[in-house]
Amino acid sequence: MVGVGGSSPLVSTISLNTFFICYSYLCMIKVYKAKSIITMNPSLPRAEAVAVRDGLILETGSLDSMKPWLENNDYEIDEQFKDSIIVPGLIDPHLHPSMAAVLLPTFFITAMEWKFPWGDTPATTSPEDYDKRLKEALTNPTHKDIFITWGHHDLWHGPMSRSRLNKIESNRPIVVWNRSFHELCMNDGALDYLGITEDDVKGASQIDFERGRFFELGLGYAIQKLNPYILDPDKFKEGLLKLKEVVHYGGQTTIADMAVGLFDFDNELNTQFALYENDDNPFRVELIAHATALIQHAGGSNIEAEKLISELPARNTHRLNFRKRVKLFTDGAFFAQVAQLMEPGYIDGHEGEWLSTPEQFEEVARIYWNKGYAIHVHVTGDLGLELAIDTLEKLQFEKPRFNHGFTLEHFGLSNPEQVHRLSKLGANVSANAYYVHELSDLYANHTVGFERASSMSRIGSCFREGVTTSLHSDFTMAPAQPLMSMWVAVNRINEKGFLMSAEERISPQQGMEAITINAARVLGLDHEIGSIRAGKKADFTVLAQDPLEVDPVTIKDIKIEATLFEGKVFPISNR
Amino acid sequence: MIPLTIISGYLGSGKTTLINQLLKEAEQPIGVLVNDFGELNIDEELINNEDSLTLSLSNGCVCCKLNDDLGISLEKMKELNVVAVVIEASGVAIPIKIANYGLSWPGFRLLGILSLVKGRSLKHLLSDKFVSKTVKAQITQADRVLLNRFKQEEKNMLSELTEDYLTEGEVESYWNLLFKEMAASSRPEITENNHHSIFQSFVLETEKLINKERLESYLNNNTSIERAKGWVRDEKGKTWLLQMTRNDCNFSISNYETATRMVLVHTKDLDIKSLEPVYA
Repeated sequence: MVGVGGSSPLVSTISLNTFFICYSYLCMIKVYKAKSIITMNPSLPRAEAVAVRDGLILETGSLDSMKPWLENNDYEIDEQFKDSIIVPGLIDPHLHPSMAAVLLPTFFITAMEWKFPWGDTPATTSPEDYDKRLKEALTNPTHKDIFITWGHHDLWHGPMSRSRLNKIESNRPIVVWNRSFHELCMNDGALDYLGITEDDVKGASQIDFERGRFFELGLGYAIQKLNPYILDPDKFKEGLLKLKEVVHYGGQTTIADMAVGLFDFDNELNTQFALYENDDNPFRVELIAHATALIQHAGGSNIEAEKLISELPARNTHRLNFRKRVKLFTDGAFFAQVAQLMEPGYIDGHEGEWLSTPEQFEEVARIYWNKGYAIHVHVTGDLGLELAIDTLEKLQFEKPRFNHGFTLEHFGLSNPEQVHRLSKLGANVSANAYYVHELSDLYANHTVGFERASSMSRIGSCFREGVTTSLHSDFTMAPAQPLMSMWVAVNRINEKGFLMSAEERISPQQGMEAITINAARVLGLDHEIGSIRAGKKADFTVLAQDPLEVDPVTIKDIKIEATLFEGKVFPISNR
Repeated sequence: MIPLTIISGYLGSGKTTLINQLLKEAEQPIGVLVNDFGELNIDEELINNEDSLTLSLSNGCVCCKLNDDLGISLEKMKELNVVAVVIEASGVAIPIKIANYGLSWPGFRLLGILSLVKGRSLKHLLSDKFVSKTVKAQITQADRVLLNRFKQEEKNMLSELTEDYLTEGEVESYWNLLFKEMAASSRPEITENNHHSIFQSFVLETEKLINKERLESYLNNNTSIERAKGWVRDEKGKTWLLQMTRNDCNFSISNYETATRMVLVHTKDLDIKSLEPVYA
């Protein structure tokens, strides 16, 4: 206990400072007028103006209704958004900055269109166009040492080989990385540059030296050779700075790094603190530690890992914060088709994977549950989900908790009974809706059949059962654009143009909840962000059109004009 | 080529005990890779006394981590003067996936997979909602299964899944079991034919009767099949125990009567429909 005498001078210093700041311009009230403000505050859903001071919202309503605030204070009316729609700052509660930092410095040539602040990546859908685009890209002088391109897909772009690449360019090192991440191809220049010889890889069944292809475990070999380049600290910084632009461009004012420690705990953290904790950064980052990745870092046991995680908030800054949250995993990746499925499983009979034994998962979950953490669990298949729900049920029996924040992340396959159970147990869902768009056709025809594929990301049921449900991108698994996630959840149209389970669609209002107030709840920040009401942080996203009024199939095309982070305007250029 | 053996088995099946025993027996330095989360249970003194290297690995796919711990560790092993490497797979590993490293990582040669089964937990694990399939895969994909702490009842249960097992008391030397006996029955070096492929496994269970000769010729002529084993019931109602590797295809009369049940280890391009002609 700190003595009163010791602490009071400190307190008075702080209040003097605050007092001083309040006389500066920051204390001036700024009133933003808009065509309409979607507040996501159910008691006052729409407004025309919002008054902001010192990064906080004072009042929403009309100029008339906020008069009592304005009468005795300096204020300024800002009309720059008078023809626009203001919504709460959008939130992506699950992405991976480190993964994005590795991928973003590569050159994208993709079958789907990707929108980026530095220019759109057009859809490239034929082998000829692919080669043409690669040729053009090679004239770009910025990728000096080794040219890495991401997004190649056999289905659209034809099989890739060393000879095909050599025809385009044989000397300069080129690496073509597949969209699935599971395969890459090199030209002569790259094999030379990385010092990979035929003798080195003789007999390796997943390396085809002749064709320059490395896949599955062979990819591991290639990545290990490439790591000095892709994990190079300068490249990593460049990637994180690009992510900063991407996050802003997507209209996000809060993101969560949902697995700190994925590659290298200290480096990931130090680089993020260095690059994102400054006044020109338009968003905050919630940091959630990857419990298993930290075990070795902490000294070898789960108990030590928990102790380390409990001390992380001491490193918090204004924008970057650890809270009492932790990330765990049950089953394998959805894109790689190693999710654990209940009967009748995969059509081809292959098995999913567990990332730890169910006993180990339960043991770790119990440690964090009993210490009062909010536990975020990566679940992709319905059996992976079942393990998380069964475990939660046990823990609730042993030590009941309310509003505990246990959150099911990704939520690929599920069944309606599971949604009911998880609702009764008080769990939240943070879903990747984009699965429906990109994978449902493939899963329907080849992997699990139409019935289960059409209801992947079962979001409509979650809303009907009263589950707090948010949407995330898991970027780079899906574009870091909350309006895109909302569009998929509202329309459920897949890449082939088919509607997948009309019953699991949600309304635009629910879609907006999922990327604002519900996402804030899932991160335990709903008292500060996620809606526009008196007392919350002035985080806004400014849109050209009203997402609750437009034809829902156009939601993803709504232009994002600016964001405001704690009252400061960050325009998004018109390009 | 450094010989590589995989030790698989569910949590608590005795993998670490076996490795500690092996380290005691080892006359030459061997490498041990532990593919599991968290705590290393290898006796420290054994590691210090031998020149053996023990590393702990975590689960997860290279595409999510951009890092292949197992691959990196295998590279490290190459630089050390180890005569053999043992991978202790995690309790939930599908052994054939780990075994693929032995087939695909430059500089290594896969000797085989040894799976451990603790008799006492077998019944419970085989009916477990979450891991029954994993445990079955660990048993059926193994080249040898080692059964410990068991009663007769559990031995019977295991023999319904495999006949390739031995019990704890039958092992004189783990060193011989893992590196000599396994080597004797090990897979030949990769040929050009399967050079491009990743191995997968498939369980054929059918009430249909099988023509043994046609199955044998199918297995011998199909280059996509790496290995097959299990029981085959022919049109005369006889049950045969099948053991097929790339060197050899062997049928022997089984004293256990069952419908056809076999595991095929095959490359990605195997078309299951091509099996049609083997039915009687």
